[in-house]
Amino acid sequence: MSDTFSYLLMAWLDPQLLLLTALGTLAGIYVGAIPGLSVTMAASILISFTFSWDINNALALMVGIYVGGVYGGSRTAILLNIPGAPSAVVTAFDGYPLAQRGEAGRAIGLSTVMSVIGGLLGTLVLAGSAPFLADMALEFAPRDYFLIAVLGLLLVSTLSGKSLARGIFSVALGSTIGLVGMDMVTAQPRLTMGSMELMGGIHYVVVMIGLFGVAEAFYQLHNLTKVPVKQKVDKIIPPLSMVLKYLPLSIRTSIIGVIVGALPGTGGDIASLFAYDHAKRTVKTPSSPFGEGAYEGLVAPETANNAAVGGAYVPMLTLGMPGDAVTAVIIGALVIHGLNPGPMLMIETPHIFWFTVGNLALANIFLLIFGLTGIKVFSKVVEVPKALLIPLILVLCVVGTYSINSNMTEVYWMLGFGILGYWLKVFGFQMGPVILGVILGPLLDETYRQAMSSVGDSGGQFLLALVTNPLSLVLTAVIALVLLGQTPAKTWLKSRFQRN
Amino acid sequence: MSQKFERVQAGEKVFDWLLLLFSIGVLFEAYRIDGIPGLNSPGSFPVGLALVMLASSVVILISHRRKRRDPRIRNAFHEAQVFLYEHFQPHIVVFTFLAVAYLAAIVWASFYISTYIFLAVTFIYFRQGKVVSSLIISAAAIAVIYALFTLVFRVYLP
Repeated sequence: MSDTFSYLLMAWLDPQLLLLTALGTLAGIYVGAIPGLSVTMAASILISFTFSWDINNALALMVGIYVGGVYGGSRTAILLNIPGAPSAVVTAFDGYPLAQRGEAGRAIGLSTVMSVIGGLLGTLVLAGSAPFLADMALEFAPRDYFLIAVLGLLLVSTLSGKSLARGIFSVALGSTIGLVGMDMVTAQPRLTMGSMELMGGIHYVVVMIGLFGVAEAFYQLHNLTKVPVKQKVDKIIPPLSMVLKYLPLSIRTSIIGVIVGALPGTGGDIASLFAYDHAKRTVKTPSSPFGEGAYEGLVAPETANNAAVGGAYVPMLTLGMPGDAVTAVIIGALVIHGLNPGPMLMIETPHIFWFTVGNLALANIFLLIFGLTGIKVFSKVVEVPKALLIPLILVLCVVGTYSINSNMTEVYWMLGFGILGYWLKVFGFQMGPVILGVILGPLLDETYRQAMSSVGDSGGQFLLALVTNPLSLVLTAVIALVLLGQTPAKTWLKSRFQRN
Repeated sequence: MSQKFERVQAGEKVFDWLLLLFSIGVLFEAYRIDGIPGLNSPGSFPVGLALVMLASSVVILISHRRKRRDPRIRNAFHEAQVFLYEHFQPHIVVFTFLAVAYLAAIVWASFYISTYIFLAVTFIYFRQGKVVSSLIISAAAIAVIYALFTLVFRVYLP
């Protein structure tokens, strides 16, 4: 027990680890916030010059970057409507309208506090229930992963504004983009139009930078002469009454975040979607209508995506399976340092697990400090005239895209996606469903084919498995209910129940 | 009984028809993978997605029946004029041209030179003059980009 405590407090008591965690968190906030830079990219770059470091030092820096980066993505989502990370896509739904109303300071302050609450609760759950959740995830069959991805995409379609058809089109478009390249089973080219350049696929960051960065830059050209909304940065720290008011919702969405985060391959983006949907369905009287600046629409995804960080560590540390892209990179770092991520890690090197738990908690404390003190300077970014901001955004997008694979063709693709995104935006299509389709499309394809293979490619057997396996049955029922909720049948059923 | 109609934007119907054509193109491309696909083949998912795109674009087009053009738009020619006025304003066209020229120039003029010229020209154009301050801001931006990406993040630049 004393060993466990000493491992837990290691990062808190060692000045070097304390400094590295602080630096990582601060850098993560800005990496997550700058369009074109991503936490995954930063973590990948960090591996290259931390492999000669002590494992604890390397992990401390990466944990800081991860925690800060997940939160940092929300800042540009709120201030510029450009989510710095996929997990912040949902934050923009209500965060940006709040900034337009002149409540950016309060929105960022509340999102900071809620992110920390989510992060700490996620860490607590990681420490307390890692073995249990890992065991549960081990039981999942490919068809369950498939169903979870379908549910995630269905939810994003329903959340994409006024038209379900436009939402579904966006998701299908994104998924199609995600499938471009060679088939991972047969190496057969798919949707490449005979182009060799497309054989390797289209990197989702290229699409994301194009749709969120370039498209937004072009869209903002319509408002070039408009004076930017002056941000009220004097009210950064949210009043205690406000925090207490949203605390029950944040606890509920933290639980959603940590469970979804613990599902391998999911992560903060789906966690925030689930949490937003939960808030939309359970909060009857939001502070404003959802999508128009509801604080509930900000609290739910921000708590969940930070809680998902703790969740993402569960399968990584116990099963050796990445919870998301960043934990996939961190697995690489552990292997470089001679460790064996997976069940044996908990047995052979338990100090790594408890050190990570303590380090995650510490990073969240630094997040609170840097999140609440750095907003005033950061908010000034949006007061920069658009005449200066728009060309700079394009340059950042070029740098961000080129740094992925040092490939100019991807930069041209990025511009192409930017122009496509501009027109989609003009005609009422949202960018979130497209990009989530790009990320989840390949996962959907892979799990569907694994599920089909497991039943001998029999459609009947596949359908039977959906209703005979308890977990699959629950997921199928939820999907059916979500679909039913989008049809006139919902109103009809409601009126029938009320009459009875 | 009065019926409320949603407004359709200038050019929206044409765009939605283009999406339908695009969906047909994707279906054709997906079909080329392995013809009519089996339940578990490389082409099954792309074909499925293309069919979803096709169906949703048809639904989007059908939804136009519930929409009406802005009453101020008189006819199709006028709609085209409104569309061009809204989306092809001089500063949008100029920025698009500069962006394309910038990306083309990076390859032969190096990243820093082309970025400096792109930033300086766009700043001067958008800010209607203010040459000296635009040149200084461009230089400062280049310095920050160099420090941040080359020295701190060690990112490869074009």
